[in-house]
Amino acid sequence: MAKKPSNGRKPGKNPAMRGFYLLIGAIAVVGIGALSYLSARPKGAVSQWDSSLPKLTAQGHLEGSDSAQLEVVEFADFECPACGQFATLTEPDIRTHLIDSGVVSIRYIDFPLSIHRNTWNAHRAAWCAGDQGKFWPMHDAIYQNQDRWNSEATDNPDNVLAGIAQGIGLNMDTYTQCVKDKKYQAQIQANETLAESRHLDQTPTFVFGNKVIGGYETYDQFKANVEAAIAATKAAARK
Amino acid sequence: MTTRMVLALLALCGVLLAAYLSLHDLGIIGSLACGSGSCELVQTSRWSRLLGIHVAVWGVGYYVLVFGVAMAAVSERFGGDPRLSLALVGLTGWGVLFSGWLTYVELFRIHAICRWCVGSATIVAVLFALALLDYRAQARTVVGE
Repeated sequence: MAKKPSNGRKPGKNPAMRGFYLLIGAIAVVGIGALSYLSARPKGAVSQWDSSLPKLTAQGHLEGSDSAQLEVVEFADFECPACGQFATLTEPDIRTHLIDSGVVSIRYIDFPLSIHRNTWNAHRAAWCAGDQGKFWPMHDAIYQNQDRWNSEATDNPDNVLAGIAQGIGLNMDTYTQCVKDKKYQAQIQANETLAESRHLDQTPTFVFGNKVIGGYETYDQFKANVEAAIAATKAAARK
Repeated sequence: MTTRMVLALLALCGVLLAAYLSLHDLGIIGSLACGSGSCELVQTSRWSRLLGIHVAVWGVGYYVLVFGVAMAAVSERFGGDPRLSLALVGLTGWGVLFSGWLTYVELFRIHAICRWCVGSATIVAVLFALALLDYRAQARTVVGE
C-alpha cells in the first residue's frame, strides 16, 4: 500500500497545524465560556413558585358560553410570542365567527414557562383583573402590550402592567392590593401543575376534544380543528 | 489555512450556535438575544421539534458530526482519504436542504425570521460551498496522480 508522502515533520510539529489547533481551542474556550456565562447569568425569580401555598384544583377563565358546542382548552403563557400572536391575530376572528355564535368557547389555563422572567407577574395581573370581572380585557391588553413589559423590555413589569390595568378601567387600589398579596398565586400554580401533569412542553397548546395541538393556530386551522372535534363528538354520540 | 480547516472552524461555530439555542429550549438560558423578538416565536413553533426533539438539539448533533469529519479530514492520518471529501459534501448538502426547508417554514408558515436560524443557514451554505471546493480539489489530486 502506498504511503502518503511525508513532509519530514512529525504530526503536531507543523506550524500551520499547530496554529489551527490553537484557533480551534480558542474558539471552543471562548464559546463554552460565553455559554457558561449566559447559563449562570441571573434570570430573576423565574419560576416564582411558592411551595408553601395550598394545592388548589386547576381552573381557567372561560370565554364564551358554557353551553357552546365545543370547549377548547388553551394552555398559554402571557410572555410567549406565539400566544401573543394567537391572542392578537387569531382570537378576534374566533370571537366574531365562533364564540359569539355559540359554536365554541375557550378556556384559558395559565402555563407560565420558566424561560420567561416576567410572565408570572402578567398572570397574576390578569387574575387580579379577573377579580374585577375584567380578565379578558386585561388578557387582550397584556398580549397587545407584550413588548412593553416582557423580560427584554423591563426589569419592573408590575409598573407597566399597572399602567395597562389602569387603561382598562380597573379600580387601582383593589388591583394593587391583589397584585401585592399575590392573591391568585396558588391558583396559577395549580393551573401550571395541570399543564405539567399532561406533559405539555409548548405554548400555546390547544385541546380540541381528544386532540392536543401545540403551537400558533391561524383562524382557518383553528376552525378546521373545531369542526373536526365537533364532528368526532357527534359521530361518537351516534354509536 | 486549508479549506478543510476553515470547514472545521465553521462547523465548531455551528456547534456553539446550536448549543445556545438548545440551552434556551432547556430553559437554562432565560431569553434569546434577538432584537426583533421573532426568535422565540420560531423556537417555540410547532415546527421547532422533530421526532419530539428540538431542532436545535438535532443541530448540535449535526454540527458535531460535520466537525468530527472535518477534523478527521484535516488530520495527517486520514487526510488523504477521498471518501472524507465525499462525506463532507453529502453531510453539508443534506444540511443545506434541511436549512432550506426550515427557512421556507419560517417565511411562509410561521411568518417570522429568527436571526440565529439565518446564521445557522448561512454557516451550512458556506460549509457546503467549501465542501464542494474541497471535493473538486481532491478529485484533481487523484486525476493528477
